[in-house]
Amino acid sequence: MKRIVTAALSTVTTLVLLFGYHTSTSGPLATSSATSVISGSSTSDSSTGDSSSFTGAVAQTRWGPVQVQITVAGSKVSDVSVIEYPSGNGKDEEINSYALPILIDETKQSQSADIDMVSGATVTSEGYLQSLQSALDEANL
Amino acid sequence: MAELTEVDRVFSTYRRDSAISRLGRGETTIEACPPEVAEVLELGRRAAERSGGAFRVWRDDPHGEAARLDTDGVVKGWAVQRASSIVRSLPGTDFCLSAGGDMVCHTASPKGWPWRIGIEDPHDVTRLKATVAVRRGAVATSGFAQRGTHIVDARSGHVPTGVASVTVVSDLLTWADIDATSAFAMGQEAAEWLAGRPGRSGLVVWSDGSTATVGHEGVITAV
Repeated sequence: MKRIVTAALSTVTTLVLLFGYHTSTSGPLATSSATSVISGSSTSDSSTGDSSSFTGAVAQTRWGPVQVQITVAGSKVSDVSVIEYPSGNGKDEEINSYALPILIDETKQSQSADIDMVSGATVTSEGYLQSLQSALDEANL
Repeated sequence: MAELTEVDRVFSTYRRDSAISRLGRGETTIEACPPEVAEVLELGRRAAERSGGAFRVWRDDPHGEAARLDTDGVVKGWAVQRASSIVRSLPGTDFCLSAGGDMVCHTASPKGWPWRIGIEDPHDVTRLKATVAVRRGAVATSGFAQRGTHIVDARSGHVPTGVASVTVVSDLLTWADIDATSAFAMGQEAAEWLAGRPGRSGLVVWSDGSTATVGHEGVITAV
């Protein structure tokens, strides 16, 4: 069991992308679209030839800190590498796309460490709009 | 990510010059529109068929006699699902692509760490009603609190009663989103209808705060 988890760790990279896609139903802001990734607030970039890389700041996830770097060639993301990734253990349970919701009925505050994302009718991505946003912006994506 | 800007240009009902607005006014034909329009209208047709007419992209205009074309209920999930293929092609990458509370989750390994998604309590948005762990799939929620959205049961034209929110977990966000809206539009029939949809699981929160969990892992068959 332990071995499986460790093997997974060597290949898993975590990229959290959030879209601020305002549909037409959102009113006056309807024409704006934004892309962002949780990662912090500052970015740095370095250019080599035709491709450039952009580094997001560290994002805290339930698994620990994550930092990503994207490489852009032309107008496309050609690579995503994870500079820092969590070293904790993931759960080994079998979960598929039809997983059943589990009732918890608790505040977001107390659960926030265990939650990667919230699904809801009032959720906007604004609260998450941070780091890779600027990395992607700088890359003009 | 110019792709979503393009989607907005084609499908925005707020833009009088969008393809969908011109099509709605009868100023153009489906054939003359970008090919995505026919694809979305076909999704709308299937959504109407599967929801028994509760979900429709063509609706009677409450202020006039002409039918109004509104593809918003189809486009968001479809567009984000499509955009997710951009990041899905990156090897060894886990991602969770979220658009205003609806999301596509993916782990590079089928045994990777699942994304843990909290389901908002529609009666108190500072609280979570449930959590669901998803490796490869989509989660969508529909409810009254949706920004500016007015979901009606297209069969009656009335606002649904008895239901506060519907969350659907499925393999594609396109259908998770459509089914969440369809089930919500059905009001008190939401859980029963959703239970009959293949490959779906989810959570219905009723107006009184009680809940119904729909679907059984392992029992549901894929679409």
